[in-house]
Amino acid sequence: MEQLTTTNNLSVADINSKEAMETIQFIVIRLGDEQFGIDIRYIDNIVRMQRMTRVPKVPEYLKGVINLRGEVLPVISIRLKMGYEPDELTKATRIIILKLEQEGNVGIIVDEVKEVVTLTGNEIEKLNYDNKDGKVRFTNAVGKHNGELISLLDLNMITLEENA
Amino acid sequence: MDVSQYLEIFLDETKEHLQNLNTQILDLEADPENMDTVNEIFRAAHSLKGMAGTMGYKRMQALTHDMENVFSEVRNGNIKVHPEMIDVLFRCLDALEEYNNNIQSTADEGTNDNEPLIKQLNEILDGKAAEEKKEAPKKAKKTAKTEEAVEEKWNDINLDDSQIRVIQAAKKQGKNVFGLNVVVQESCILKAARAFLVFKAIEEKGEIIVSWPSAQDIEDERFERDFTLIVVSENSLDVIIKAAEYVSEIAQVTGAELELEKVKSYRPVEDIEETDKAKTNALAKAEDKSKAAAKTEKKQAPGKPVVNRTVRVDIEKLDVLMNLVSELIIAKNSLVSATDQEGSANGAIDEHIEYLESVTTSLHESVMKVRMVPIESVVNKFPRMIRDLSKNLGKKMELYMSGEETELDRTVVDEIGDPLMHLLRNSADHGLESAEVRAQRGKPAVGSIFLDAYQDGNNVVIEVRDDGNGIDTEAVKEKAIERGVITPEQAATMAEKDIINLLFLPSFSTAKKVSDVSGRGVGLDVVRSKIESLSGEVEVKTKLGEGSTWTIRLPLTLAIIQALMVVVGGEKYAISLGSIQTIEDIEPGEIKLVQGKEVIHLRGTVIPLIRLNEIVDVESTKSPDANLVVVIVKKGDRMAGLVIDELIGQQEIVIKSLGKYIKQCKFISGATILGDGEVALILDANALL
Repeated sequence: MEQLTTTNNLSVADINSKEAMETIQFIVIRLGDEQFGIDIRYIDNIVRMQRMTRVPKVPEYLKGVINLRGEVLPVISIRLKMGYEPDELTKATRIIILKLEQEGNVGIIVDEVKEVVTLTGNEIEKLNYDNKDGKVRFTNAVGKHNGELISLLDLNMITLEENA
Repeated sequence: MDVSQYLEIFLDETKEHLQNLNTQILDLEADPENMDTVNEIFRAAHSLKGMAGTMGYKRMQALTHDMENVFSEVRNGNIKVHPEMIDVLFRCLDALEEYNNNIQSTADEGTNDNEPLIKQLNEILDGKAAEEKKEAPKKAKKTAKTEEAVEEKWNDINLDDSQIRVIQAAKKQGKNVFGLNVVVQESCILKAARAFLVFKAIEEKGEIIVSWPSAQDIEDERFERDFTLIVVSENSLDVIIKAAEYVSEIAQVTGAELELEKVKSYRPVEDIEETDKAKTNALAKAEDKSKAAAKTEKKQAPGKPVVNRTVRVDIEKLDVLMNLVSELIIAKNSLVSATDQEGSANGAIDEHIEYLESVTTSLHESVMKVRMVPIESVVNKFPRMIRDLSKNLGKKMELYMSGEETELDRTVVDEIGDPLMHLLRNSADHGLESAEVRAQRGKPAVGSIFLDAYQDGNNVVIEVRDDGNGIDTEAVKEKAIERGVITPEQAATMAEKDIINLLFLPSFSTAKKVSDVSGRGVGLDVVRSKIESLSGEVEVKTKLGEGSTWTIRLPLTLAIIQALMVVVGGEKYAISLGSIQTIEDIEPGEIKLVQGKEVIHLRGTVIPLIRLNEIVDVESTKSPDANLVVVIVKKGDRMAGLVIDELIGQQEIVIKSLGKYIKQCKFISGATILGDGEVALILDANALL
């Protein structure tokens, strides 16, 4: 945990200093009524919902594995992971394939992929939590875009394994 | 000169030479008089020195140089092989291996000069030098490798009658016959290529009658820094030397008129009156003759290895090839399932697909074979290890190995070394009794450890066996109770087998004394987890007072297996065919209860049932009173019946990892992609047992 928090702070610090004037692209997704942004640099691919193979004896949020062009990838329901209602599969439902350094590629299920936005460093406000309540936070910054607020997902937390 | 591009080759070859030295020195210890071994050792040490020098590893070079000196003295018969010397030599090899490891990780040899070792080596040499001074000073001249000795080397060449005749004939015709000695620069990497250029240059000016080493040996780079030629030419000596010196990276060319009388092997050959034609024929045949000479020379040195025609291939390239074959098999499977759905209306397509199937299967087999390497490379270091252990532990023991040629996938071979080493150490330390106990029990004073490898169907079995004490189950029991692993009540009811299995638990060691050989309690559980990570299994059979046998069973291949596809609760699963014994149709009435667990009685054996749908948390789609389909799986001598809903059939599947993200699930060993693109999980029957 400690390690994770430090890396998070680092990335936010990055955003504030070095890349203050640089722009970062985010993909805006919808989960229920909320909008979230995912840093485009971590996204490998976006695919339609497809047939999934359930894996027994794993946490509930781990929905199963899919075949993505010959690779077997795990798929996570971030709704369940974040404690939301279970996913309702619609035509708009997508799997976003994230490429992560540690875990390799992982898919997450989102209700809808809306758009790509470009934010400058000034438009990103990092969130400081005191970790006292021990709650897991899934966002680490908020982006302001056209008067709307987009919560920026902390991918480390999304894919963090729960000690089952 | 930039040598980084040669680093990999250097590392590989150094390893080979070191392994070779290890083996040969062991042989030498057993048979100190064997000159073939000494020669082989000398050659290996010499090439090591040369390679280290070329690559600029001065410390390594210095150490090998001194080792080479010792071997050279042994070869010349000036010093005798004695046990202390062998010990020093082994320590030198360890030091060299350390250099090599340093080079592998940092491209630098490190800063350890190993002065004590060099000192010891020199002491060995000095010991001999002291003796030698009393002897004739003549030998000293020979050992001091001076340039003078080089100068007239051609006089040392063995000439056969026909060669002498050719030389005599040439002289009669008024041609010049020269002896030439060519020294290649020390930094030269492609010695054979340089030598070839020298040959070519000289042959433009004259005729090479004899070369030493032979042309073939030179081509294969089996020479040191210099080679000697006898040349017949109409040109003057200067012209020929210039031609040879013109080749780059040649350090020195010396030569002189050859006087047959000075040649050591010269004996007067009857001057048969040959016709001129025969003489020219003989001249033309000179080249063939020298080749023939090379052949006889080879017969004289039987220890020389026959060079295999091989190509070194980067293992990554093989991995890529293997992946492509996997993809191909998946594509083939999709094609098969696509045509199945079409309804086999077209017989011609079926035929082609069958052909495709057989081609892909044999392609897979050949790629697998390419990846297979003999376990020799791993087990070769063990005789040396046992020898050292024997000295450290003060027990006499001997290692007998068989089946070193058994082949396994390269990735498995790379991993199997450590577990085997653990088991051997275990046998040496815990297994074999001390000399007194052995004497009491009437066993031979020298303990025996066996390492046998053989192929058994789709598995490779490696057995480590000793004739020592065996496992004292009572001691294990006591220890387990003491450590709180089991309760005394549990201990009382435990089968012997289960008690032995306690040994594989982490941090369980019965050694009364902690030695640096074993007894830290990290051995056996590491052995087991390592072997299980290779999809293998380890078993132990033991008889108190008579010894133990550790059996490691490994799959031949890791990537593609034959599997039985089954359906459980509407989901498809694959079970490796390797662990399946039979498939049975069982009536619900045949199921009996033993201690609240379902078992079946099958041909005299009681087999526990495992309902797979309960394991994978799904509802079975079968009604409870229908007959059960039971897949009987076997691990070692344990069996279980897996209850499934439906059989699909046998299929060749490509094992895919589930990724690092999913690892909680112990009985799922991976996933595979079916013909229709669906992912099916692979059940690890071993983990279920």
